[in-house]
Amino acid sequence: MSSLAIYGERQSGEDVRTQNITACIAIANILRSSLGPVGLDKMLVDDMGDVIVTNDGATILKQLEVEHPAAKVLVELAQQQDEEVGDGTTSVVLLAAELLKRADDLVRRGIHPTNIIAGYRLAMRESCRFLRDTFAVSVEKLGKSCLLNTARTAISSKIIGSEIDFFANLAVEAVLAVKRKTEVGKYKYPIKAINILKKSGKGARDSQLLKGIGLNVTRASQGMPLRVSPAKIACLDFDLRRSKMKMGVQVLVEDPKELERIQEKEYEVTKSRIEAILKAGANAIFTTKGIDDAALKYFVEKNAIAVRRVAKDDMKRLAKATGASVQLTMADLGGEESFDPSFLGSAEEVVEETISDDKFIFVRGCKNLASGTIVLRGPNEYMCDEMSRSLHDCLCAVQRALESNYVVPGGGCVEASLSIFLENFATTLGGREQLAIAEFSDALLVIPKTLAANAALDATDMIAKLRAVHNAAQLDSNKGNLSHMGLDLENGHLRDNLEAGILEPAMSKIKSIQLATEAAITILRIDDLIKLKKKQEDESGEY
Amino acid sequence: MDAKNNIKNNRESASKDRQKAKDVRLSNISASKAVADAVRTSLGPRGLDKMVQEEAGDVLISNDGATILSKMRVEHPAAKMLVDLSKAQDIEAGDGTTTVVVIAGSLLSACLTLLGKGIHPSLISDAFQYAVEKAEEILDKAAQPVDVNDRTAVIQAAATALSSKVVSQHATLLAPIAVDAVTRIANLEEPDAIDLRNIRVIKKLGGTLDDTELFEGLVLNQHVNKSAGGVTKVAGAKVALIQFCLSAPKTDIENNIIVQDYSAMDRVLREERQYILNLCKKIKNTGCNVLLIQKSILRDATSDLSLHYLAKMKIMVVQDVEREEIEFIAKSLHCVPIAGIDSFVPEKLAKVDLVEEVSVGSEKMVKMSGIQGKHKTVSIIARGSNKLMLDEAERSLHDAFCVVRSLFRRRFLIAGGGAAETEVAVGLNKIAKTLEGAAAFCVRAFADALEVIPYTLAENAGLPSIEIVTELRNRHVQGDKNAGINVKKGNISNMVEENVVMPLLVTVSALRLATECVRMILKIDDIVMTR
Repeated sequence: MSSLAIYGERQSGEDVRTQNITACIAIANILRSSLGPVGLDKMLVDDMGDVIVTNDGATILKQLEVEHPAAKVLVELAQQQDEEVGDGTTSVVLLAAELLKRADDLVRRGIHPTNIIAGYRLAMRESCRFLRDTFAVSVEKLGKSCLLNTARTAISSKIIGSEIDFFANLAVEAVLAVKRKTEVGKYKYPIKAINILKKSGKGARDSQLLKGIGLNVTRASQGMPLRVSPAKIACLDFDLRRSKMKMGVQVLVEDPKELERIQEKEYEVTKSRIEAILKAGANAIFTTKGIDDAALKYFVEKNAIAVRRVAKDDMKRLAKATGASVQLTMADLGGEESFDPSFLGSAEEVVEETISDDKFIFVRGCKNLASGTIVLRGPNEYMCDEMSRSLHDCLCAVQRALESNYVVPGGGCVEASLSIFLENFATTLGGREQLAIAEFSDALLVIPKTLAANAALDATDMIAKLRAVHNAAQLDSNKGNLSHMGLDLENGHLRDNLEAGILEPAMSKIKSIQLATEAAITILRIDDLIKLKKKQEDESGEY
Repeated sequence: MDAKNNIKNNRESASKDRQKAKDVRLSNISASKAVADAVRTSLGPRGLDKMVQEEAGDVLISNDGATILSKMRVEHPAAKMLVDLSKAQDIEAGDGTTTVVVIAGSLLSACLTLLGKGIHPSLISDAFQYAVEKAEEILDKAAQPVDVNDRTAVIQAAATALSSKVVSQHATLLAPIAVDAVTRIANLEEPDAIDLRNIRVIKKLGGTLDDTELFEGLVLNQHVNKSAGGVTKVAGAKVALIQFCLSAPKTDIENNIIVQDYSAMDRVLREERQYILNLCKKIKNTGCNVLLIQKSILRDATSDLSLHYLAKMKIMVVQDVEREEIEFIAKSLHCVPIAGIDSFVPEKLAKVDLVEEVSVGSEKMVKMSGIQGKHKTVSIIARGSNKLMLDEAERSLHDAFCVVRSLFRRRFLIAGGGAAETEVAVGLNKIAKTLEGAAAFCVRAFADALEVIPYTLAENAGLPSIEIVTELRNRHVQGDKNAGINVKKGNISNMVEENVVMPLLVTVSALRLATECVRMILKIDDIVMTR
């Protein structure tokens, strides 16, 4: 091929594909050992020396700073799964890499990539249909224990797996606590309303779910009461410090007495604001900005709690839950300053409580919406961070199960069943896609295989057994109950995972198959890679 | 003695020049061919993609010829002409940007052979011009007229354009969207005046391409400013588009306000409140309840104070409207941008039935529906699972718009799948037989060069290209004008029945532009580097 002069490097054809695929497999290999309930953790140390210990796929990949453009696609894939589903980030990457590896083999055997792509796409569509129509079990049919089980399954692979029942309960309760009805009459479970506070000290078991909103802040002054009830809450987004003049306004005085007056005036402005707020009936004042120490006495006198430096997000949540409206300024339509009682929100109580050595402010019995706070305890910071990530995955899983209403048995059961289904489906086709679909069906088995291998079981043996069982279930309608058989990783044999309570939200599985296939196709379609070099500064005028 | 030397030198340099002219031409041709080879594999519905990593590390995946070439930073001057060629096709027809480069590359290799036979470049150039004129006649005959009001026919053409893209599986969804969008902004009386800038594609990450929709009205990428707890939904809205700021006026940097008295401090604060309040009241008095504010770099577009007042007056505030957007918004809403508070009069407001903020994925946007008056613009909300996909969807939609526009301009459809090119090749071959001299040779070479399109289509689809192309040629000789390659089934079939059709304008423009470019490259016989 004649050389094409471009400012950079160019690779094309088979080389690029193989190289891209190798990069993707390398990414997947990093994650491989952390899949499943007996998967292990990674310790990541960044250039600042900060340490993260995790086995969450998305978190690991985010920290890796991958450079290869194709590998980046996989990193994005994990991120996407994290955003859309929240769980299953490791398995989606493994699946995508396996699909790519098998596609590479097919290309070497002389099948055109476009045929493989068509086959993969067809297989993806068929598997999603199969999952949705015949395999998923509705939540109602299984009852409430199913939620608990979904939470358990999500947790089992995480660091808090040792306290599985405890955290599963915690998660389910927390999600159910924030249930709310939308305008169209559907129920929503906004997990954003669940606040997670981390505090090292004590064991994981001492974590607790608390009603109300917990804020990681304290009263501004010791003289304030520890508890006000019922609370009238004012949410402010402005400073209650000595009011300074704006930029461009200069204070010039010639007489020292004048100076004093000006200082006094500055206090005066703040004082009148505080008085207006208190007069409106507020006894719990939250601001995102600061409060002058000198101004605190006004609150103390009135027995009100004032809290400064509340995080903006917390403030929004607080305002939403208590019905307060966040005020940016106190100006009114007359051009003066005042504070209307209608801006206040209400709650049963605002209280400062001590958890371990630290103090937190809790707002309980909010007027408008229910919300929950989970306080996580752990031996050290890394543990707490990982616990909060794990719990987030778990909350997502419960939420998905509730909102999508369908679950599937886990432990490699879905993949094995799909694999058999696709294999049978492939043989009904005459085209070249047949081979691709057969490979897709094999690729799915990477999940049970890795699960078994991570649990130090004989993967080949287990997979053979698993496939035999599922084949029987699909061929013989009398043996339909066998279709829920999956791996029991602790004891090393097969069991009915639906009964054993290993459940995953159906939507999570469907999404991960869709996303993994899409990502694999994106990479397969590439047959040319052009890397542009950085332009030199001094050359920039010439081009 | 000197004179003798001079003569000798002259003779030497003359022969060198001849040598040089040949070299330059060869090097130009081979550089241009390399460009064509680079994009060849992305032609057709089964074409593959290119990944381009830009210097900053951003990655782009596309199979749109013009996009790839413009990113590739080709260095050779002649090769650059091919890059410009695909850009020209993009502007003229919008689609077929890969096709045009592939044809040009194939024509250039035909030139190489012809030059090797000792035919003068000017002769080749003239013969090619003759051939392309004849080709247009043949295409005109093969094309079938289409009624642009027949929605299904237009959709088919758009779907063909989309079939080669990454988003091909969503062609059934995107094609009708593209057709409806263009139909809405088109004025059938003046098809040349269709301005695609009146279609705005808003990209929002999240969801899948299936969620892409055409929105009747205006969609703004910005979100409503709620920091003062403002409203997010206004029915029966009166919208004002303002280009001034609602914040305290600033003095020049050199000037300062000097406060010498404590009572003056009060006045400074009060005056500011009063000033902003007056602004807000004036706005309220005109009946306006939705305010779109242009971004400002000199001053804050809004201040806490003004947001607070506006929220109290139940006026919705959308900030950070870009300067470039102003024209589009004004056109869509039938309103006049307001430059100062003194010119804020009710006549300049737009009436809209409903303005509301909606959240898509993790982002927010503002939708305005029920705009009074005729729709002059449309908005399309594109969704996609990742940024690469979304960007490619936008490019593909643009191609589809262009295809529809080409159809409005010239209301003829022609069969795709290599049928048009084969038909021209067969027709030109017949004509070549009636010609004499070198021209006959050149026209035949031109005809054969066009077969690169069906050949590449078949090759990219993993089909046996030689069998397919020879069978295709055979069918066309027998008079089956619409026979083309059915990439999905891997055989030859009637393209019109398979609904693989494209606008005549795209094919004609590709042929014409490619020929012009080749003629130009042929005529170059020297490169002079200047500083």
